[in-house]
Amino acid sequence: MSVLDPIYEKAKSDLQKVAFPEAANEKMMQAAYEAGKEGYIIPILVGNTAELKALAAERNYDESVFQFVDINDEEYTAKLVAAYIAKPDTTLKEKGLRRRMANPLFYALVMEAVDEADVTFAGIDNTTGDVIAAGMMMVGMAPGISTISSIGLCDIPGFTGGENGLLAIGDSAVCTNPDAEQLADIAISACDTVRGLLGWEPRCAMVCYSTLGSGQGELIDKVVNALHIAQEKRPDLAIDGEFQFDAAVKPEVAAKKVKRESKVAGKANVVIWPDLNVGNIGVKLIQTFGKADAYGPMLQGFNKIVCDCSRGAPVSEIKGNIIISAVRAASLKK
Amino acid sequence: MDRKELEAKVIELVTISYKKNPGEVTLDTSFKKDLGGASVQMVALVSEIENELDAMVALQDAAACETVKDLVDAVENEL
Repeated sequence: MSVLDPIYEKAKSDLQKVAFPEAANEKMMQAAYEAGKEGYIIPILVGNTAELKALAAERNYDESVFQFVDINDEEYTAKLVAAYIAKPDTTLKEKGLRRRMANPLFYALVMEAVDEADVTFAGIDNTTGDVIAAGMMMVGMAPGISTISSIGLCDIPGFTGGENGLLAIGDSAVCTNPDAEQLADIAISACDTVRGLLGWEPRCAMVCYSTLGSGQGELIDKVVNALHIAQEKRPDLAIDGEFQFDAAVKPEVAAKKVKRESKVAGKANVVIWPDLNVGNIGVKLIQTFGKADAYGPMLQGFNKIVCDCSRGAPVSEIKGNIIISAVRAASLKK
Repeated sequence: MDRKELEAKVIELVTISYKKNPGEVTLDTSFKKDLGGASVQMVALVSEIENELDAMVALQDAAACETVKDLVDAVENEL
C-alpha cells in the first residue's frame, strides 16, 4: 500500500474544486483529467474556454469531466470582482484587480479567494516565484503567518521512527535564509499542514548542529530564538529543540542527549531545517542514501491552498500533488 | 507627475503600508534593514501603488528593491 492511498481515499470522500490556470499545458490537462475522471477532484479549467475545449477534444478527453471558466466571460468576471472587492481584507481596487485578472493565474486565485474554487494549482508555465507572489496578493496569508514556505513528506525504507516511518521535513524548497521569525512560521505552518493533510499530532523538532546548548554560535542562536517565538505563538503545538538531527529522530540518541522531558526528542515526525542549504542537501541525502520517496514540496502559509508543481514533474507526480492539495483544502474547511 | 512628486507619493505609501511615522521614511530607507521587510506589508504596498498610481509593479520586482529609491525607479518604469 502506498503512503498516498489513505490521502487518495480522503479526497474521494470530500470532493474539492481545483482551479487550473495552466490547463492548456498538456501534462497539466492530463493530470487534471485523470484526477477528475477517477473521482478525486472537480477540475475547473480557467482560461480561454474555446481553446481549452478544442485542446481537450484533440487529446480525446471526455469534456464532461471538466468545468470551464472563461476569463473573458464578462458576467462571471463582474460577479467575481464584486465579491472580491467586498471582502474586508481586500487591498486592490477594481481597476487593478481587473488588470491582474487578465492573467489566468490571478483569475483562478480570485475565484479561490471568493470560494468559487478550493485550490489553485499551477507551476508549469509560471515560476514558483510567480505562483507565490500571486497567491500572497490574491488569497493572502494564514492568520499569524508572514512567511510562505514548504514541506515535503519522506517515505524512508527501514526507518521506523517519525510517524510510522514517514517524516515531514521543511523547508527544503522555498525560504532561502529565514530569520528567527520566519523559521518559527515555517515550523508552525508545517505542524498545521501535517495535521490537516495526514491527521497527525505533530511532534516538531527544530534542528541544527547543537542539542540543548551543546554547541554555541549565531547559527544556533537563530534556531533557539525561532523555537521560542514558535512556542510563544502556538503553545498548543509540540515544537521543541534545539536538537541535532539524530537527537530529533532516534530515541536512543535522544535518551543520551536530551536530559529533560520532551514530547518531541527522539520521536519527531516533523523536522525543521535551519535554512535552505541544509534543507536542500538534507532532502537529497535522504533520497540518495536513504532511498526515500519524497512527496512535495507543498506550499504552506497561505490563507487557502495554493499549489506549485515542479515543471519537470511527470504526470503521475502532478496528479498526486493535485490530490494532496485537495485533501489539504478539505481539512481547512473543518 | 514629475519625479519629485512621484518620490513623495511613494514615500507616503511606504509610510502608510509599513505603519511608520511621517518623516521616518526617506528615499534611502532600506526595506530589509529599516522596515523589517515583512512580505505581507509589501503586498499591501504593491496594492496601494496600483490603486493610487495606476502602476502595476509585480510583487517580486517590488520585493527585490533594496531601498525606497529603487522602488520609485520600478514604479516610474511602469508609468
